[in-house]
Amino acid sequence: QLDHACALHTAARAGLSSVSSQDVPAERPRAVFHTSESDPAKHTEQHEARLYNIPLEEVKAVFPHGLPHRFQQQIQTFNEARVMVRKPALELLAYLKGSIFSQPAVRYVIYGERGTGKTMTLCHVVHYCWRQGWLVLHVPDAHLWVKNCKELLQSSYNKDRLDQPLQASVWLKNFKTSNERFLQEIKTQKKYMWGKHESTEEGRPLGEVVEQGLARVRSASDAVGVVLRELKQQSHRGSFRLLVAVDGVNALWGRTTLSKEDKSPVSPEELTLVHNLRKMVMNDWSGGAIVTTLSQTGSLFKPSSAYTPQELLGKEGFDALDPFVPIPVPNYSPREFESCYGYYLERKWLQHEKGHTEDGKAELQFLSGSNPRQLDRLAGPL
Amino acid sequence: MAAPSAAGLGRRLRAWLPRIMPVRWSRYNPSYLEPEVKKESYQKPLEELTEEEREQMELKAVRPIKAAPPTLSSSVFSDPMISKFTNMMMKSGNKVLARSLMSQTLEAIKRKQLEKYHKAPENEKETIECNPYVIFHQALKNCQPIIGLSSITKGGKTYQVPVPLTDNRKRFLAMKWLITECRENKHRRTMMPEKLSQELLLAFNNEGPVIKKKHVLHKMAEANRAYAHFRWW
Repeated sequence: QLDHACALHTAARAGLSSVSSQDVPAERPRAVFHTSESDPAKHTEQHEARLYNIPLEEVKAVFPHGLPHRFQQQIQTFNEARVMVRKPALELLAYLKGSIFSQPAVRYVIYGERGTGKTMTLCHVVHYCWRQGWLVLHVPDAHLWVKNCKELLQSSYNKDRLDQPLQASVWLKNFKTSNERFLQEIKTQKKYMWGKHESTEEGRPLGEVVEQGLARVRSASDAVGVVLRELKQQSHRGSFRLLVAVDGVNALWGRTTLSKEDKSPVSPEELTLVHNLRKMVMNDWSGGAIVTTLSQTGSLFKPSSAYTPQELLGKEGFDALDPFVPIPVPNYSPREFESCYGYYLERKWLQHEKGHTEDGKAELQFLSGSNPRQLDRLAGPL
Repeated sequence: MAAPSAAGLGRRLRAWLPRIMPVRWSRYNPSYLEPEVKKESYQKPLEELTEEEREQMELKAVRPIKAAPPTLSSSVFSDPMISKFTNMMMKSGNKVLARSLMSQTLEAIKRKQLEKYHKAPENEKETIECNPYVIFHQALKNCQPIIGLSSITKGGKTYQVPVPLTDNRKRFLAMKWLITECRENKHRRTMMPEKLSQELLLAFNNEGPVIKKKHVLHKMAEANRAYAHFRWW
């Protein structure tokens, strides 16, 4: 496998191999680090360290939320969304392609140091699943549900729990944008009461539950709970495949910075949204997969050097998520760095005259330590 | 027993310390040489060096070298003008914040220009300048006044006398005007990178309040040219 990679590297350097000419169009010699294969299902090791394009309409449909902020700025500046195909993503895609849907859902935990590309790997996987027609339940950042919440209502369903109307309604809106057709097809299996007068009958499409949650913001968290419950119960039938993609899953088992009116701290189980999401992330359902990411950046009360699952999830979280498939995401390999650097040059992002020289490239590699986020931040002002 | 002797020892030792302890602009012994940061000067082979350079190298082997100040950088991307501007933007020694604001400003300029570049038709693409450093330098050059005013008191009255400015003074005035303009005359809640990038782009195109201020200064100097002979230097 190492020889394969070396051979491809020399081939990439030469730029004139039969391997690359298949996906490099002939009219305009598009650089070696691009690939015209925009379907993630067809990505193989041949496409490693290459950037593939996601059409902008698909970006709006697949990722109403979930892309990192700097990447969204980059999409706006360059007018295109290019994601690098990297080994961890290819590994995950291979596992998903080979997964057996009659078995309970397998949990994958993407972990790595800060800024190595965990969220982008998750987005790659989400794009693949969307292309394959799966139902994608994407929680962009679970940390947003455990901190900075202005309104906490006591839940009408269960007296001990607390509702978060704003976060729930925002999530429902984005969920609706990406999964329109499923909301009409999937029917509820039980009658749900929203307060004294409103209810949703059995057999109504799930879209109505979402509309109810959006219209009555007070019951939005309960609507989210209903949606999750229905999806979990119906996924084993096989009419749709369910992908649960959670970014920052360590938020579900940590501490919160929220407090009740009597100033006592709120633990995560007391929040309806977190409670329901924890049930979703359990492997007691079949017919899909659960892909999660650990994140130290938004986490609460965790040291900045922590990145392993044991450190970030804590004992409770690790026991809850155990057994899972860990997928480490490293910094850029030399080939990936060349690819990223070449892309910035081609898009005229590196404007400094010294940025085009070998010295400048060596300096960028040294200063960033091949860390994708550092490279992006360094190349910004240059 | 130990305490009084320790106090006495301290009092006696303190007498040996010099009265002035230079900390910031530290005074080195004249034998200390300046540090050389440029990579090219170390990569030259021995034969290509001239006589004086060979002497300099031999001197470096025996003389001590001063500590390099933190602003001196061997990076290929370092620019003395940008460092000067960052220092002027700095408040209470917070260089980290000033530097991050500067890099965000350069990035903001680059993004605005790139968006304009990608939307423009083919024939206009060459006219749009996307390099933030070129824009910064050109904007500063456009803001520099050619002639300044100095207050000279003669016979009890103070006159504003037109006076030539040195290069350093011109650069300082241009940078000072840009920063004050951004700090004072903008909406309270706009971020500094946004304000600065806007001002720099306007100055690059010879528009904007800073250029106006420069023109006002030039007109005042032109109006007061009768007093020019009051200058004695």
